[in-house]
Amino acid sequence: MELLAFFEKWIWFGAAAVGFAILFNVPQRTIWLIFLMGALGGALKVLTMTLGGSIILGSFLGAMLVGFISIGAAHFRHSPPFVFSIPAVIPMVPGAFAYRTMLGIIKLTGSVDNGIFVKTMEATVNNGLKAGFVLMALAFGVSAPMLFSRRQSAKEIKVPLKLMS
Amino acid sequence: MSSGANTARIRTTIMRIANAYGFNAELLITHRALMLTLYDEDKDHFFSRLKRTSPHGANFKMVSGISRMSWRIVEEKWNLAQVQEEINRLKSVPHYNRLVILSLVALADASFCRLFGGGHIEMIVAFVATFAGLFVRQEVVKKGFNPYLCIFFASLTSSLISGLSVYLHWGANPEYAFATSVLYLIPGIPLINSMSDLLDGNIMNGIVRGVNGLIIAFSISLGLLGAILLYNI
Repeated sequence: MELLAFFEKWIWFGAAAVGFAILFNVPQRTIWLIFLMGALGGALKVLTMTLGGSIILGSFLGAMLVGFISIGAAHFRHSPPFVFSIPAVIPMVPGAFAYRTMLGIIKLTGSVDNGIFVKTMEATVNNGLKAGFVLMALAFGVSAPMLFSRRQSAKEIKVPLKLMS
Repeated sequence: MSSGANTARIRTTIMRIANAYGFNAELLITHRALMLTLYDEDKDHFFSRLKRTSPHGANFKMVSGISRMSWRIVEEKWNLAQVQEEINRLKSVPHYNRLVILSLVALADASFCRLFGGGHIEMIVAFVATFAGLFVRQEVVKKGFNPYLCIFFASLTSSLISGLSVYLHWGANPEYAFATSVLYLIPGIPLINSMSDLLDGNIMNGIVRGVNGLIIAFSISLGLLGAILLYNI
């Protein structure tokens, strides 16, 4: 992939994350970090996919990166980590797959021809499964730091992340 | 408390506050109500209360503020008057300016469109569709419709506008604009919270939140279906 197009994607991922952050009414002090985290997570996802990984793996890695940064960000900006992580992973939500699944289901209710039905069914199930698994990967990736550290609150995690961000 | 926090967070925050005042707390957290019992083993004091939670609306300022407050109670030993004052302050903290919300969310959807491979025309279409859809949603929410119906209206508005571009064949891939114009409605918080509740073992709340998310997704697709049928795409 061209480098320029890659960096352009950063901006769009970040902008999408900020849009959702505003919709969820986050504190003002967190917005720039959310932009950065959305961009970084999205970039890792795109990178994984260009290196040949599946979209599920890419989303998982991206969400995990966001999850780990969110712990550091929580220390830095004094907000619970998920305030950062949820807006930042939402740009990775598989909207297009979910949409195609819905469209496929709608088509399935109408068509009677056996050949078309089977073909649509294939595509629909594929898209639906992808959407579901990406969503699970996102949720798991975001909560990964908490699961690994086995702590109830981000304040108890003492990692040298304070150097970052 | 139900402005977008997951169950484990509600529990730890309440426990933290209760312990700071020297009480033990037991909690039952459900989707629409919160049951709380405070007790002090030495003095045999009991306090029990059942409280309905307000209708859900994501407000991360509130969650963040309460979490900060709970730490201040622990560390700076706040008294009740200070806590009350802080809660009132948090309640009165305004949402962002409406125009800012509308335009930034619309920009977010335009970015989505770009990420999925749309060109400039598709981005503009997605922007306008989202702007109008979110505006409609805010208006119907003010009128007090059923929340799922509100989402249906918003989805229908957005997809009607973006569907027009598919119908008239504007731009190279108008389908991208059509698909992305309703993405601002996706139930991201219910679904992610549902997953993290399930992982924490709060299975009931996880299922409830998941079903809530699915109904929202269903309302979105109903709106899309309306536009698809109208334009016969």
